[in-house]
Amino acid sequence: MNGPTSAVQCTGIVKRYGSGEAEVLALRGIDLEVRMGELLMLVGPSGCGKTTLISVIAGILDQDDGECLLFGQDITRLPATERTRYRGQAIGFVFQSFNLIPTLTAAENVAIPLLINGVPFESAVAEARVRLRDVQLEGREDALPTQLSGGQQQRVAIARAIVHRPRLVVCDEPTSALDGETGHKVMQVLKDVAVGSDRALVIVTHDARIYEFADRIARMEDGHIVSVEQTERGTTENAP
Amino acid sequence: MFRIALKMLLGDRGKYFGIITGIALASLLMIQQPGILISIFSRTYSFISDVALPDIWVMDPMVKYVDDSQPMLDTQLYRVRGVKGVEWAVPLYKGNQRVRLGDGQLVSSNLIGLDDATLIGGPAVMLKGKLADLRLPDAVIVDEAGATGRLAKPASPGKKAEPLQVGDILEINDKRARVVGIARAGATFQSQPIIYTTYTRATTYALSERKLLSYILVKAKADEPVANVTARIRHDTGMAARSADEFKDMTFLYILNNTSILTNFGFVVIVGFIVGAAVTGQIFYNFTLDNLRYFAVFKAMGATDRMLRRMILLQALLVGFVGFGLGAGATAVFAAITRERPGLSMTLNWQLLLGSSIAVAVIVLFAALISVRKVLKLEPAVVFK
Repeated sequence: MNGPTSAVQCTGIVKRYGSGEAEVLALRGIDLEVRMGELLMLVGPSGCGKTTLISVIAGILDQDDGECLLFGQDITRLPATERTRYRGQAIGFVFQSFNLIPTLTAAENVAIPLLINGVPFESAVAEARVRLRDVQLEGREDALPTQLSGGQQQRVAIARAIVHRPRLVVCDEPTSALDGETGHKVMQVLKDVAVGSDRALVIVTHDARIYEFADRIARMEDGHIVSVEQTERGTTENAP
Repeated sequence: MFRIALKMLLGDRGKYFGIITGIALASLLMIQQPGILISIFSRTYSFISDVALPDIWVMDPMVKYVDDSQPMLDTQLYRVRGVKGVEWAVPLYKGNQRVRLGDGQLVSSNLIGLDDATLIGGPAVMLKGKLADLRLPDAVIVDEAGATGRLAKPASPGKKAEPLQVGDILEINDKRARVVGIARAGATFQSQPIIYTTYTRATTYALSERKLLSYILVKAKADEPVANVTARIRHDTGMAARSADEFKDMTFLYILNNTSILTNFGFVVIVGFIVGAAVTGQIFYNFTLDNLRYFAVFKAMGATDRMLRRMILLQALLVGFVGFGLGAGATAVFAAITRERPGLSMTLNWQLLLGSSIAVAVIVLFAALISVRKVLKLEPAVVFK
């Protein structure tokens, strides 16, 4: 039996914040598919619901209505602990502000997803060192985050997002804190290490300088997906 | 993840030291103050402890505690000796007398008159001289604390007071007394110097009193239960008779009920606990708040509530263990320094350590609880905000 062809399949996703007169409709019936092996960018103005949508996709926020299947599975139906564990195994995260633990070395930061999944400390750190080499941070494994540049910190964050080989990596504004050249390098690393035929990458961004890395770009406005464009790169790379 | 939890804690040195300092100070207060209290209370009956040989203390029924000796007629001694089951009974004088120092200063001292023949009730540890020297003319033995403290020879201008030595002369109620020995005795509740002499000589120092027999010290025969002999003495003589332990308890309870010592020390201990809990709880909670974003990251990355609870609990237990260790260690140093000193001293026992460790455990668990609550309520989605 073949597995699902979609990494993510969202149908009619609605998310509200607040209640009564203070209610805000952040997502107004979103339909979106993220295909296996693609890099999808979610773009749009601030407050349009991009971050809410990737939070729902990543299973860290419950939608009020609709269904979001992750690799064919509706994880909202799982018990809370199972759902947390599933997230720990299947999803990697890259954050705008890196969110590296300041008291841990780069290698220890990268090892965290493995440790959460029960890998012994020494093995996890050894694997983390390999992943740091993949993101061109060889020799910086024992540096603290404060000893690294912004670009290096984001590469550590990328290594952390992929160290446990998740099938979906979600990134929130991964280049917004970086200059253009560094952002470009970080995206190249991300593209190289996080995209594969059985995996997918969803990036929320404002940064038009990195659109060139996308296979498809979904534009959001006011809680809706207003368009999904296949990029030239996506057309080329996904062509049969 | 436990190593990560520890690295998060130990890496933030300012907060880590703040937390363990708070716990160490709370531990110090919670061990030291009751330790001093126990020491003070043990002083109330230290004289009974020092007079270790007799099984039974016979006294006037009006006596409320050991320093409240109500003199009896000497004839009571013979009545007690006649009670069935008494192996021996000896007299003991205990009273306050004024000692004049070389510069004319009068120092109130505790004069102990021991049975002339047996010297039962004398100090167990002689530092200088021999107990038997009390049979020499005008002989007295002074306790170490008194000899180096309040009875020390007055200093000449610009010099320190010199400790009383064997051969020095004192005046007790205008009568000559010659120091023939220095002994170690348990510190008393009132911290008065203790002067030992024979019973006969003590009665001459205290001439103004008509009845001079303070206590009768009794040893029960080997085959007679102490309780039976005690009851018999009470019945046959009308005197109060108590075992040494009963007399200690009675003295302890009297001081406990008639002074505010327990209230004052108890207040400090409670304040120590509350301040310790508040400071530790606050700093630990702040530490958690500072790391809340990272706990949210862990949650998003798949850390279960159980894992996060255990991480925080481990952090709390570590600071509790280290803080308590430092506090208990500092208290032990204090206890060691003050052990041989006649003034302030404290008792450090396992019960005290156990009790304070439980109190510290309550503090750190409280701190962990409020932190865990915050973390568990945290929405992992905040990682994207």
